Order: sequence, then structure tokens, then C-alpha cells
Amino acid sequence: MSSDESIERAVKETTAGLIQYSPEGLVPFGPVHPALKEPEYFKIILEGEKIVQIIPRIGYAHRGIERAAQDRTWIQAIYLVERICGICSFSHSLAFVQTVESLTEYEVPRRARYIRLIIAEMERIHSHLLWLGLVGYWTGFDTLFMWIWRDRERVLDLIEMITGNRVHKSYATITGVRRDLPENIERHVQSAMKYLSERVAFYKEIVNSEATILTRTKGVGWISPDVAIRLCPVGPLLRCMGFKRDVRVDDPYAAYDEIVPEVKTSTDSDALSLLNLRLEEIEDSIRMILDAITAIPTGPVKTTVPRTIPKGDAIGHVEAPRGELFYFVRSEGGSKPTRVKIRTPTLANILTATEMLKGHTLADVPVVLTAMDPCFGCMDRLTVIDLDEGKEWQVNGEQLRRYGIEWYKNNKRE
Amino acid sequence: MISWIFQLLVFPGLTFFVWIAFAFEWLERKTAAKIQSRVGPLTAGPKGFLQPVADYFKLILKEEIIPKYSDKFVFLYGPPLYFSVPAIGAAFIPVLGEAGVLSHTYDLLFILFTLSFSVLMASILGYAASGRYATISIGRLILQYTSYEVPLILSILAPALLARSLSLSKIVASQTSIWYIFYAPISFAVFLVVSLAELEKPPFDIPSAKTEIVAGWMTEFSGRALAYVKLTKSLNYVFLSALATTLFLGGPTLPITIQEGFTRSVVSLLVFLAKTFGVGFLIFVIKSALARIKIEQATSLLWTITTPLSFLQLLIITMFR
Repeated sequence: MSSDESIERAVKETTAGLIQYSPEGLVPFGPVHPALKEPEYFKIILEGEKIVQIIPRIGYAHRGIERAAQDRTWIQAIYLVERICGICSFSHSLAFVQTVESLTEYEVPRRARYIRLIIAEMERIHSHLLWLGLVGYWTGFDTLFMWIWRDRERVLDLIEMITGNRVHKSYATITGVRRDLPENIERHVQSAMKYLSERVAFYKEIVNSEATILTRTKGVGWISPDVAIRLCPVGPLLRCMGFKRDVRVDDPYAAYDEIVPEVKTSTDSDALSLLNLRLEEIEDSIRMILDAITAIPTGPVKTTVPRTIPKGDAIGHVEAPRGELFYFVRSEGGSKPTRVKIRTPTLANILTATEMLKGHTLADVPVVLTAMDPCFGCMDRLTVIDLDEGKEWQVNGEQLRRYGIEWYKNNKRE
Repeated sequence: MISWIFQLLVFPGLTFFVWIAFAFEWLERKTAAKIQSRVGPLTAGPKGFLQPVADYFKLILKEEIIPKYSDKFVFLYGPPLYFSVPAIGAAFIPVLGEAGVLSHTYDLLFILFTLSFSVLMASILGYAASGRYATISIGRLILQYTSYEVPLILSILAPALLARSLSLSKIVASQTSIWYIFYAPISFAVFLVVSLAELEKPPFDIPSAKTEIVAGWMTEFSGRALAYVKLTKSLNYVFLSALATTLFLGGPTLPITIQEGFTRSVVSLLVFLAKTFGVGFLIFVIKSALARIKIEQATSLLWTITTPLSFLQLLIITMFR
């Protein structure tokens, strides 16, 4: 099939099959929906309240960042990839700089590796707390939502003290971090971590004793590990099925070889076990931050590197809060990357999440679909996959433009 | 006649209850905000007191979008009718003395009718709007209604049985010495639970669960219609709290006797308001501390726990009276 024909076909399918749907029992879940933070569309086919089929359609938040990175210098690209995700932004920049560092022969100073660990773990705490609060929101428990997000402010304040920003930290740089820890930060870190560990213990008690939360999460979203492993989930979703996999331990980066995380697992593989697992991970992160802040060595936090990166291909991965974040970078010795390829944890998890939903009711959709902590902005792709023909192809800018013109011709506003 | 119309439309009838509804909404938002360590409404009026009023008029002035496939007649004229249900029901509530404005011998039956009719109107409105979320929501609403109607009627029956009357004024009059909450505490508790279901508040906000079906049967409403629907929901809140006050807390009366006249009316009004806001506050706190449950869980909870409990209460009352 030529690319022109395939585009035509894509236009037809999209307009006929996905936009103007009307089979019996179809409930649109998205692209704009109160349960989703980002635009993504799930076709849910219901039989009464029971879910028969759920079809994800991704691509609403695609911004072409991989391509845009090719037009930026190495330093500019760090800040660009950071903007892929507003929650695990440091993980993205960290994965990118680590991949680029592996192309050069420069060593990262030991102090910088400790600081990277501290920020990465703080980001994990903030991301997990954000998800836990949203579980409260998804189950209609607004009080829990507000309380957890209030406590999350403490860790965001710490991140702001250290990096200067709350969300997009702009902190990691090739061979180090951009600035040293501020003075007297230990005192702030210790008091905030003490407060957080108290709150986490309290939330653990609530989650395991509050009847309405238990009825909504216990046994919900159960999936057999044998089925799930074939769908390649990553992160907490994989660990809650009993698989002990964590990039921080399997392939240590930053200072994880010196401050070893404890990989938490669970065997229940339901929404409740994910809640407990993430709470335990927060406890472990708190321990690691406290260890790191006392054991941190003195010294420089970065070395100066030339603006060009030697020729070569490199891969790198970090354990983002949501799971393994994977980067591929190709350099041809210039001042710009030739190719950047990103595989985010949400893309790996989305199939498992839709599989988890089968057999559940509509009321479980917000809890189960988001159990993997989705970040759709990270995930979107522009690969068209034809289910009938079993083919897939990529779309370039010109084709997209023509597709847009065609679409608006067919879907004129009244 | 003019005095009667004034009573019906202004005080202690429609306008009075609408203002309490606004105050309830403000109190609900403020209470929830306090519990969740937020500030809540702040700018409109003192401490944001006028925020619900401002919201109402803002909605009235906004554009009303009528869906293409909706039943336009019902869509346009249904919301005012829906509003009239608790508005008429509230006129039976005794506020100033032992009798309400429209009080008659069997008014408790009419109250039961308004409680059912309110749900019927909601489902008609939902079907008129004809959305997918509305369809699912109405299915849930009706299933939930069939589950809570029996405990609702049984819990209302307890005070009627104690007073041996189906008239609200008789029920209030026979509570001057001791409130029925002390005779029928289980019924009061069941009534509170069932009120949460009737009001679609957590844990029973299943028909309007926003993370599942957006706003349920209200999804397609906008502008003026939404203003009516929202006001009706607040008014329902007031109506059920006032009903709990009347049936279980002695309405506007106090155990002490006060001379007939202006003072008595003022005291009655203040007592009524205090009790109604007390019950309302109780509901706000309960709903803030719970997550939403699923429809099958709600059905089983309402049938297997609240219904036997309200039967038990009736049994206890008949045995000891």
C-alpha cells in the first residue's frame, strides 16, 4: 500500500470509525473527561454496567518532541525532553543526560550523583503522593484527595528550595547538576521527611481500614501475572504482580549503588496492593533521602564539557516513578542529536491497564485505568496501526497537513 | 387570602426556603473546605456567603445549549417543574408554629409523594437530554431509588406510629415533651443514610459520579436549566434536613412553653433554623468522610442493612407502646 492510499484509509477510518461512532452500549471515556487529567480517548463498550471491550485511542497530546529534539543543541534538548512530563520531569532529563554521558568519557562527580538521587527520590515521593490523592478523587473521596495534595506541597517546597523550580526543575545537565545544594538544606529535608513519614503511616492506616476505600479497591483490577507479563508492564504495576524488577537495583545509576533501594513487591495484583506498594515505596524513598543527605560527599557538582558529543549510539534507562523510562540517542559528532527515541512507562503499561478492566463494571474504570498512574502526554505516538491489515506506518508532516485539511472538509461545522 | 399567598410565596414558604438553600450550599462548601484544609468561597459577600447566589445568577445569564437529539419541550420546561417539587413539599414544613402553610390531615403522604416524584422528574429530565452518560445515570438512579425507598418510608413511619397520626403538625405537637429521636434513634440514623442516597451525596453519589459518567443525568444541562437543577438539589437538601427536624427533633418547638405571639414566632423560627442547619451540618460531615461505593454495593447495603434496621425500629415501637 502506498503512503497516499494509507493516509486516505486512515482518514476514512478515523472519521467513520472513531469520531462518528454509534454502536449500542458505547460509552465515550474521553478525550475530555473529569477522570482524565490529559486528553486520551477510550471506547468503552458496555453491557449494562459491565465492560465487554475497551479500546484505547492514543495520540491526542502528541507534540513531536522527538523530532524537535533534533533541531536543538545537546543542552537545549535537556530542557525540551524535560517538558514531556510535568510530573516525572527530572526522570526524563536524567535519562537523557545519562544516555548522552555514556557517549562521552567524562565522569559524573560523586556529589552530583548523590544530588541526582535525592531529587529523583523526591520526585518519586511527589509523584506517588499525587497518584494517591487522585485515587481519592477517582473514588469520590475528595477529603483524602485534598489532604494528600496538601502534604505533597512539603516535598514540592523542598524541590523548589534545591532546584529553584517546582515542576520543571531544569536541574540535570550533562555531567552533573546545574547548582549545588543550598546551605542548611539538611534541616529542612529532615523536618519535611519526618512530617511526611508520619503522614504516610496515617494514610496507610486509612487505606487499609476505611470501608468505602476497601470496597472500591480490594480485588479490583486483578489480573493474572501470567497474562500480564506477556503485555510487558513496567514499574509498580509489574512489582505488584510479584516480579522483583527495578532499574535502580538491576542497573544502578546515580548513587543507587551506594544507597541501595529496597524493592517492594506484592502478590495481590489489585488496586489495593498498588496503593500499599506505592505507600511503601514512599517510605523507602524517605529513608534513602535521609541516608543520602547525611552521607553526601563534598566536591564539585559538574565538569565542563565541550558542546559537541562524540559519534555513536547509546541507550539509557532510569526508574521513573511510573516505571522504566527508556532513551535511545544517536550522535553524529555534531552539536545536535541526530535521533532521540523515548519509550515512556505509560506506553508500556496501557495494554495491561485495558486488559485489567475486562469483566469489571463502569464504576471501576477510573480506578483501574489509572492504577498504572497514566501520563498520556508522555505516551502519545504518531504511528498509525491498521488492525485489519496488520500493518503500521508513520506519518510525516506533509501527510498530516493533508490529513487535517481532509478531515475538516469532511467534518464541517454546522 | 393575601396573607396566605404571602406565607406561601415569601415567608415561610418559597423565598424563605430558597434563601436557606443558598445558605446551605454556602455552608456545605465552607464545611467541606474546612475539613479539606482549603478556604472555600471567599470573595462574594461576607466570607463568600453570596457565592451560591452569584453562581445561580451567572448560570441564569449564560447561554443555554440544547442538544440536537433531546426532547426539547421537556428539556426546556422540565427543570422548573423539577424545582417546584421540593418547593411545594417545603410548604408543608412547620416553621413558625406547629402547622405548615399547606398543612392538612394527611400531609405526610404528600411528603412521601414529593420524595418519589423528585426522582421521577430527575429521570424524565435525564431521558429528555438523551446522552449516553445520562442513560447510564438514570439506570443507576432508578436502581438506587428502588433500594432506598423502602427504608425511607419505614423510617418516616416510625414518628407517625409514635404520634399515631399522618399529619406533620400532630407529629410536631406530640414532641413538645420529648423528641422522637430518643424513641426512634435507629430510624433517625436510617433516615440520614437514606437522605444521602436521595441527595446523591457520597457514598451514594453513584448516579452523578463525576469520574465515571461526568455529571450523570445533568451532563447536558447548561445555563438556565442547570441553574434550576442545581437550585433544586440545594432545596432538596434543605427539604430533607427540615423533614428530619420535623419528624425526629420536634420541629420549631421547644420543651418550654412560650406565650402565643410575636416572641414565640421568632423563637420558633430560630429553633427551626438551628435544628435544620444542625442536621444539614451532620450530613455535610458524613459525606466528607466517605468515598463513593458502587451501585451493587449500595443496593446490597440499603436492602440488607437499612431495611431490616428500620423494621426492627418499628417492631420495638409497637412492642413498647
